[in-house]
Amino acid sequence: MSQTGTVKTLSQVETIIDTDFHLTERQSDVAPYLEELYGKLLNVTGDDYGYHGDVFPSPGFVSPVTSGKVSSDTVRSADTVIEGMDELDIDRAIITPTLGLSLPVMHHDELAGAFATAYNSYIQDQFLDEEDRLYSAIIVAPQQPAEAAAEIDDRADDRGIVAALIPGSGVHPPLGAERYHPIYEACEDAGLPILLHNAASSWMQNYPFQARGFKRYLSVHSLSHPMDHMVNLTSLIVNGIPVQFPDLEFVLQEGGLGWIPFMMRRLDHEYRSKREDAPLLAEGPYEMPSEYILEHCYFTSQPLEGAYDPEYLSNVLDMFEAENNLMFSSDYPHLDFDHTREILTYFKGFGDSEINNIFGGTAKEVFGI
Amino acid sequence: MDPTEDNKAKDENVANERLHVGSRNEFEDVDRKVIDVNDREIGVFKIDGEFYALANYCPHQGGPVCEGEITGTIAAKKDDEWSLSYERENEIVACPWHGWEFDITSGENLTTDDFAVPRYDVVVEGSDIYIEI
Repeated sequence: MSQTGTVKTLSQVETIIDTDFHLTERQSDVAPYLEELYGKLLNVTGDDYGYHGDVFPSPGFVSPVTSGKVSSDTVRSADTVIEGMDELDIDRAIITPTLGLSLPVMHHDELAGAFATAYNSYIQDQFLDEEDRLYSAIIVAPQQPAEAAAEIDDRADDRGIVAALIPGSGVHPPLGAERYHPIYEACEDAGLPILLHNAASSWMQNYPFQARGFKRYLSVHSLSHPMDHMVNLTSLIVNGIPVQFPDLEFVLQEGGLGWIPFMMRRLDHEYRSKREDAPLLAEGPYEMPSEYILEHCYFTSQPLEGAYDPEYLSNVLDMFEAENNLMFSSDYPHLDFDHTREILTYFKGFGDSEINNIFGGTAKEVFGI
Repeated sequence: MDPTEDNKAKDENVANERLHVGSRNEFEDVDRKVIDVNDREIGVFKIDGEFYALANYCPHQGGPVCEGEITGTIAAKKDDEWSLSYERENEIVACPWHGWEFDITSGENLTTDDFAVPRYDVVVEGSDIYIEI
């Protein structure tokens, strides 16, 4: 399929907004911002991932980073973020955590909430207040929804805050449950979309138990991100969250692409004969689960499975209206990041306005930037 | 000049253009240097006394493939009753961006020969190492 537009190089794209640019923050970066009580509780020094990264039981991954075959950059300051952005030709970035993604499986609930608050202060202080090109979400620990809601109210108007982020892996119960409503209410009131981002190590803790039988990182990582999204998305839709919070939008990050049109059609198929399991959907403006998904959900582009299969990619993108619902992301500096060029190289058959939407136009609308 | 002779001379020139990239004693036993040549980065590898040269540009997403770890790789063979083994020590370089593994001697990706890093022929004369471009 040939490129139909005139945009051929990154410099010709209007604006490039990376909607998933990671920090590689360590516990020692965030710990200084902990409320005093929790600082005393932990009493830590050291430059490793610390208690925060000690998810029990440890998944014990041997990944290409462990074996030394991949060398990931360190990103723990506004300067290193900007360096990475400039190398990838990115204009603006939504920063996402690495360590922070393990919050849902942190056993000490109050400490998880304290770490979420500390991370938000760290981000505001060292990144958002330093660089106009950087944006972030308010990260929340889902096991502390009331505290999360209060924090969202507090920080929603701070410079650079454009969303809330719920780490989705291992969240129990899944995100459609009533206990999370305070978070949704706070986000809807504040006009903030919700980023959902999963993590392979957290996925190994709670869902599904069978996955604990996987003995290779390849197996875990192939499934963790999209499967956790499938669980949380199903839970959100079936519980009618979009009906109860009609202005709320979700951005599902780093899940890959092919599962999206599958879930749309799978839920529609199931719903036709199991209507009574999702009675709220009939009360909202749309008929079918797939419509709620298209209207309330956005997706980020990395990782592009099917890059070498143009027919697969163009069909998949078409089947969830990617020209309106997909936003470019790199996932830099993680080991499966996509270079910015990949979109131009592999998204054949899109015209200029669609390419510009995917690179930044849609992100501008979704995040109000 | 007869046009065909002109082309022949040109071809010979192109085939024979050599760049000096260093001398033997600049390399350890297993070693690699990345050199900048006419705006191209080329990785020159020494493996067990032999020299190889690859473009420092990964066919995946353009990463600095020649700067990766030089290792072997894990295998599992029927003859070993499928137990894990380690093979091809010092023959493999993994691109540091995403870990794609390439055979240094051929430039080929280990997963599929659909991908390869471009190779350059290496000529050693005495203690001088040249690549042909």
